[in-house]
Amino acid sequence: MRVRAAIAALALAGIAVAGYLTAVHYAHTSPICTTGGCEKVQHSSFAELAGVPVALLGLLAYIAILATAAVRGVGASLAGAVLGLSGAAFSGYLLWAQFARIHVICQWCVGNDAIIAAVAGLCVVRLLREPPPA
Amino acid sequence: MNRNRLSLLAAAVGVAAIVAVVLIALGSGSGSTSTDTTTTTAASAPQDTVPLATTDIFTGIPQHGDTLGRPAAPATITIYEDPQCPFCREWMLQTFPAVVTDYVRTGKVKLVYRGIEIIGPNSEPGLRAIYAAGKQNKLWNMTDGLYRLQGAENSGWITEATVRTAAHSAGANADAILGAMNANSVTAKLNEAARQSQADKVHGTPAFVVQRPPAQAQMLNLAALDAATFESALDAALQ
Repeated sequence: MRVRAAIAALALAGIAVAGYLTAVHYAHTSPICTTGGCEKVQHSSFAELAGVPVALLGLLAYIAILATAAVRGVGASLAGAVLGLSGAAFSGYLLWAQFARIHVICQWCVGNDAIIAAVAGLCVVRLLREPPPA
Repeated sequence: MNRNRLSLLAAAVGVAAIVAVVLIALGSGSGSTSTDTTTTTAASAPQDTVPLATTDIFTGIPQHGDTLGRPAAPATITIYEDPQCPFCREWMLQTFPAVVTDYVRTGKVKLVYRGIEIIGPNSEPGLRAIYAAGKQNKLWNMTDGLYRLQGAENSGWITEATVRTAAHSAGANADAILGAMNANSVTAKLNEAARQSQADKVHGTPAFVVQRPPAQAQMLNLAALDAATFESALDAALQ
């Protein structure tokens, strides 16, 4: 139960970050940024996937993870793990892109990377510990 | 921990790996706008077919160096832009005409241009061309002209040919602009804009700092860049 609660809390944090970046994207404004690179990252080709903002994809993924945390059972654990691990892997790729291709750091992206990494870890723990159906 | 759970974990890792690879492949195929490429041979086409030439907007409005509008206007908007910035282009082409009509032409406000390099290295020749056009009091026309030719970020679209075309649409002397781009006075303008952007805590473009003495200068916080939103925020700042 505590693991599911922790996943839900982190998913809500992820929804806040991804939701903010999605809103900024569609408002055509710049995110609040102390690292100085957020706009450059947001305007790069890595910010969209087949025309869909990556922030929106992240928002949808976090909502789905939140939903899996709300449901008991191995199926929900498995779905959460797939979402969390997929998200963490893709976030790792985007983190690499910031360092190696764009050469700037976006605080929101790094914050999201930390959240999704923690979510992925907890989802794996949950999958391994979820009690079998009665 | 039973073997069944480990099998599930292995399956989850496998599916996640496939999903991640697909996402990365999709991302790689969605564009080649790597922001570290500075090739000058891959200048891309303009993003759309916005027509050239907009001198009508500026006709009859005083323009001196980087300033557009009546010098004695009671308020000043310092505008931070990057010629490669797509949002700056959107603002310039969609909202700027309304701002000029409603505030600059009426003498309420004057605009001061501050060009800063935000997107990448290819912004610098654009900024230099814009400030060089300021020597002919065509800075704002040149800014507009370049936005109408804007290509993908750091694709190398700002070339001599681009500058010539933009200068033509701006009604400026292209040879004089190209000759002045590396002048010390232009470099000084770039450095001044960079220094002031740090002082104003500008982290992105476009950014708008409104000053109406004796009130303190303030950054406009905009939820969107359309004319209605901009003018509403500007009205609040000017009160």
